[in-house]
Amino acid sequence: MAVDSFKYLPGSIAAYYRNLAVEKVEPVPWTPMKKPVSEARFALVTTAGIYVDGAEPGFDQEGERRNPMWGDPTFRRIPRDVRLEQIGASHLHLNNRDVQADLNIELPVHRFAELEAEGTIGSLAPTAYSFMGYQTNTSEWREKYAPDVAGLMKDEAVDAVLLTPA
Amino acid sequence: MLAQVFEAAGLSTVMVTSMPYWSEKLGVPRTVGVEFPYGHMLGMPNDRDMQMKVIRAALSVLEEAREPGMIRELEIEWPQPFDEAKKDWQPLEPSPIIAMMIEQRRKAAEQARGQG
Repeated sequence: MAVDSFKYLPGSIAAYYRNLAVEKVEPVPWTPMKKPVSEARFALVTTAGIYVDGAEPGFDQEGERRNPMWGDPTFRRIPRDVRLEQIGASHLHLNNRDVQADLNIELPVHRFAELEAEGTIGSLAPTAYSFMGYQTNTSEWREKYAPDVAGLMKDEAVDAVLLTPA
Repeated sequence: MLAQVFEAAGLSTVMVTSMPYWSEKLGVPRTVGVEFPYGHMLGMPNDRDMQMKVIRAALSVLEEAREPGMIRELEIEWPQPFDEAKKDWQPLEPSPIIAMMIEQRRKAAEQARGQG
C-alpha cells in the first residue's frame, strides 16, 4: 500500500496542492542520532493548535478571521503531566473534538511516559510544544519561533523530537 | 520546515505525517507516512495499540536512518468508512480562508448570471 497523501482533502484543495511548486531545501539539514533510542531524551512537537487552558492563551483565531490569509505563528508549551481536561484547541481548520477526547492522537505524552517506564526510550522531556499548523508564510516560524523552541528543547537536554503535523 | 530548523540546531527528528508526498518534495529528514485523516497522525482516540504501532515505527526510523530522506509508509487501514472519515476531521464551520473562497465563488457566479 502506498499512502495517498491527498486522500482526505476536498478535491479542489488536493488539485491546488498537487500543482503547487515548492523548493526543496538542499542539503537537507541532518543530525544523526548520537545515542540509541533507549538512552535518548525525547520532546514532542505538534501543529494541532492545542494549548493548556488557563496557563496560556489560545492561538489568535480573531486575527485569522480578520485576515484569512494569516495564521498565528506563535507556540504554546504543554507540560508532560498535563491532564486531558486542561487541553484547549484553537485550530480553525480541524474538528478539534478527537484531540480533546484523547490528546495522544497528536501529542502522545501519555504513550511516551509509558515508553519511558518500560525502558524503550531514555526519557520524555518535561515540556512539549504546540504550534497551529495553518501558516501561509513560514518565515516567522523559520526565523523566530522554531529556533526559540529548539533552544528550549536544548535547555531540557533533548536529543530527539517526534513531530506530528496535524 | 520545523524539522529542518530543529535538525540544524542539533536535534534528530522524525515526523509522522499523512502527506509523505511533501516530505520528498521539501526534504524532511525522517518520515513515517500514515493514511490517516488530518488531526489524527497517531491513530484513533483511545486506541492505544494503534498509537503505539505508529510511535514504535517512528522510533525504528530514528534508529535506522543513516542519511536524510528516509520515508517509511505504514500499512494501517483507517477503521472508519472513508466518507465518514473525510467529513469527520473537518471543522464544523468552514475555516476563514475556505469561507472567503466560497463567498468569492458565489459573487463570481452572481456576476456571471448578471451578465448573462
